[in-house]
Amino acid sequence: MADKMNHIERAMAGLTNEPVDRLLAYPLAMGVCRRLINGTGITYQEWVSDPKKFAQAFIDGQRRFDFDFAIGLMDLSVMAGDLGAHVRMDEQNTPFVDEPLIKDLEGYEKLEVPNIKDPKTRSYVLVEGTGLFVDALGKEVVTAAFLEGPLLALTQTRGAEFVFKDMYDNESSRKAVHAALKTITDYDKEMVKAFAQKKPAGLVWDYLWGSYSCLGDTEYMEFEGDHKYAGCLNELVQKEGMANCIHNCADLPHLDTQIKKWKPAIYSMAYYPLIPGSPSAKETIQKGYADVSLIGGNIDPQGFVRWKTEKMVDMTKKLCNEVITELKARDLGGRYCIASGCEVPPALSTKLENIQACVDTTKQFGTFA
Amino acid sequence: MKIAQIAGFLGSGKTTLLIEVAKVLVERGEKVAIVVNDVGEINVDFKIVEAYGLKAKELSGGCICCEIAGNFANTLSLLYSNFNPDIVIVEPSGVAIPWGLKRAAEYSEAEVPVTIEHAPVLTLVDATRIDTLMGTVRRLVVTQVREADVCLINKVDAAHDGGIARAEELIRSVNPHCEIMRISTHQNKGVKEVADIIVDRTSARYDEAVERALLEKEYGSG
Repeated sequence: MADKMNHIERAMAGLTNEPVDRLLAYPLAMGVCRRLINGTGITYQEWVSDPKKFAQAFIDGQRRFDFDFAIGLMDLSVMAGDLGAHVRMDEQNTPFVDEPLIKDLEGYEKLEVPNIKDPKTRSYVLVEGTGLFVDALGKEVVTAAFLEGPLLALTQTRGAEFVFKDMYDNESSRKAVHAALKTITDYDKEMVKAFAQKKPAGLVWDYLWGSYSCLGDTEYMEFEGDHKYAGCLNELVQKEGMANCIHNCADLPHLDTQIKKWKPAIYSMAYYPLIPGSPSAKETIQKGYADVSLIGGNIDPQGFVRWKTEKMVDMTKKLCNEVITELKARDLGGRYCIASGCEVPPALSTKLENIQACVDTTKQFGTFA
Repeated sequence: MKIAQIAGFLGSGKTTLLIEVAKVLVERGEKVAIVVNDVGEINVDFKIVEAYGLKAKELSGGCICCEIAGNFANTLSLLYSNFNPDIVIVEPSGVAIPWGLKRAAEYSEAEVPVTIEHAPVLTLVDATRIDTLMGTVRRLVVTQVREADVCLINKVDAAHDGGIARAEELIRSVNPHCEIMRISTHQNKGVKEVADIIVDRTSARYDEAVERALLEKEYGSG
């Protein structure tokens, strides 16, 4: 069935809870689109080191797959790397921290906001590259920058288990964690302001640790949810003229805080069928979260690597049916985007035809007729 | 190829148990590989590993909840192709979800002609620090216990009775079906029994369990 709305019309309708011709589609295919550049692809290191190449992946991805959004995720080690942690860059693997910067409590206190205007930093590449794809695609699709929240960047810089331990070990360690979070929040503020200059429509935060598997409400509020951290960052995004959005692929996300309290324009999440309490798309809508935000989810990202294309078609079709039934039951408009619960694995083994199948199946079976 | 996960929070004795159990298994003639998380907190002495004829690989990269899964599958495929172990002992990060690693392990079946079996998921609970852990990282400890087939209360030689009892109480309240064992990796107590569990017993596959869960959700448990 041919689309009756263009990408921006559909996304704006979804964001404002108006009727849409079909569900939105955006498998979170970022790094994998580097494989489209120059026809033969480029290495991960090339992709994350050059703003033009970073942007080109989003442009080529849009031309190939016809997405409804473009969101500028690079990887989760950008900030930790610029803070001083060692990042391992394999040719075709997502860069990751292989040697944390913070080794002891003093390390927390020593963090300094890097100079994000230095072209040698990946923060610079991320900001400039985001600007380039916003310029290229901004009139065609809704664009957004992507940024790690303070707690996520800290766990990448120190190691998650150590951060969780230090949060509670004693008063000194607790203070040290807060000192580092303050520095990283300042770093995030600079990034938000730099992104705002590039005029994306929105900014997506990765607030991964808002998960009941890791932190309860009280602990989450102390170490991320507090106004001095995520609270003020969410406000800053809006003040800078961007829509505030959140991605959280954890198993038991803090939906009441991250959706009902913070009211992001878009909330992207995953689904874990075997984790008791992990909400399916149906349950997420039934519990009223799509009343507040446009929800993105929840095709298993590994399905893009492992499934046969027929299975991707089946799973996408099933999700479309589930979502449309529930949206209609709550009398909602296009408040759901068919997406992967987390980034589509950027591996060479990811099947590009499965990305296409997810989008095409949503076009065909995500209609509201 | 059988996958044995040893879960537990930082300091619970995962690495020590992994090495000791691996030694026992090698002595029994099993071909053993170990896979460790390489983000900072692991201190496996690779010289010891080599001395005992083990094969060691690191688990690396990407998003904690999704992408490591893919890398783990690739790691297992490589191990199968290059070493063909009988048993792979895995030490995930203390924030990893055991079901996620099971799923990832099964994905390796699509890459190489291997059939994956799972040993019972083993979660270590440190009896000497149970009060501290429950006052601080309670959520993470509960998640690890909830996912376990067998909980190993470790350091019982150094813990007082109250600590051991509270650890058992916690496990019973979170996961009533879970088997509980008292061990001391420091004194080598319980290591052979853990090796027996890994060799003799199995745990549910992810694909079968998820299919069952989805069907139950759609049609009810009846």
